Amino acid sequence: MHEMSLALDVGRMVEKEMERHPGRLVTVGVAVGDNAGVEPSSLEFCLAAVLAHPPFAGARAVLTKVPGDALRLDYLEVDDGRPDH
Amino acid sequence: MAVRTIEVREKVMAMNNELAAVVRQRLAEAGVVAFNLVSSPGSGKTTLLERTLDELGEELGIAVVTGDVQTQNDADRLARRTTRLVQAVVTGGACHLDARQVLSALDAIDLQRTRLLFVENVGNLVCPASWDLGEEAKVVLFSVTEGEDKPLKYPKMFREARYAVLNKMDLLPHVPFDLDSAVAAARSVNPDLTFFFTSALHGEGLTTWFDFLRSRIRQTAPV
Repeated sequence: MHEMSLALDVGRMVEKEMERHPGRLVTVGVAVGDNAGVEPSSLEFCLAAVLAHPPFAGARAVLTKVPGDALRLDYLEVDDGRPDH
Repeated sequence: MAVRTIEVREKVMAMNNELAAVVRQRLAEAGVVAFNLVSSPGSGKTTLLERTLDELGEELGIAVVTGDVQTQNDADRLARRTTRLVQAVVTGGACHLDARQVLSALDAIDLQRTRLLFVENVGNLVCPASWDLGEEAKVVLFSVTEGEDKPLKYPKMFREARYAVLNKMDLLPHVPFDLDSAVAAARSVNPDLTFFFTSALHGEGLTTWFDFLRSRIRQTAPV
């Protein structure tokens, strides 16, 4: 039930990261522990709702299940428009 | 496409945890012990608090913050048992209290007159387990009318709690509740749980609970 609060918290964290790493957000990677008290499919659904709106440009959430009670924003994938090296 | 991966590895709920640390610090400075009461709806949190306020409200300078999805019924009930202000948080739909709400409630509490703070969380054995409110410990209540397998069904809550109160013990002869199985189930998820067996309505076992609170408060002085 609190997955939407968590998704909004992830949204705030992503927004803060994007200030330091401008570009088009492509993927948001979140690690979810099997004892985190979080239902992954519900969190995924809520993240999709949050990420559908600006400034997230419809980025995709990728959840990775991990052991323990971890719940963390693991990584972002950002298209900065620059050519590959 | 020039997609770069940015490592973040930052805990979600960091903001809640930062605010919980502020709550904890403020309580420690004032020498206040705080317990976060959690249970499913109807286990007897409010009745336990009523009896605790009757017995120890003045002696231990007890302040209370209540959380409910709707209504201030619990706060109104408790306000009749104390001269202190009872802080009611109506979450308006949220299934748990968070540290921000407790921090705001602290602003309205005279901490200098307070030795013991109870936060009566929203009745819910799931979500409140994940939210640190800055308390010293979570106290999980469950009752003999609920079934002895609650600790197995909601292990995170029982794992997060330091104390368990098994309430409505007066009903034990009338319900098919296996006391030994309930305790074993709770200890299987958290071997360190300290148990209290109470009937908050009729008073059975409350002396042990009161003695525990008195002794816990005697050990704490403002830093």
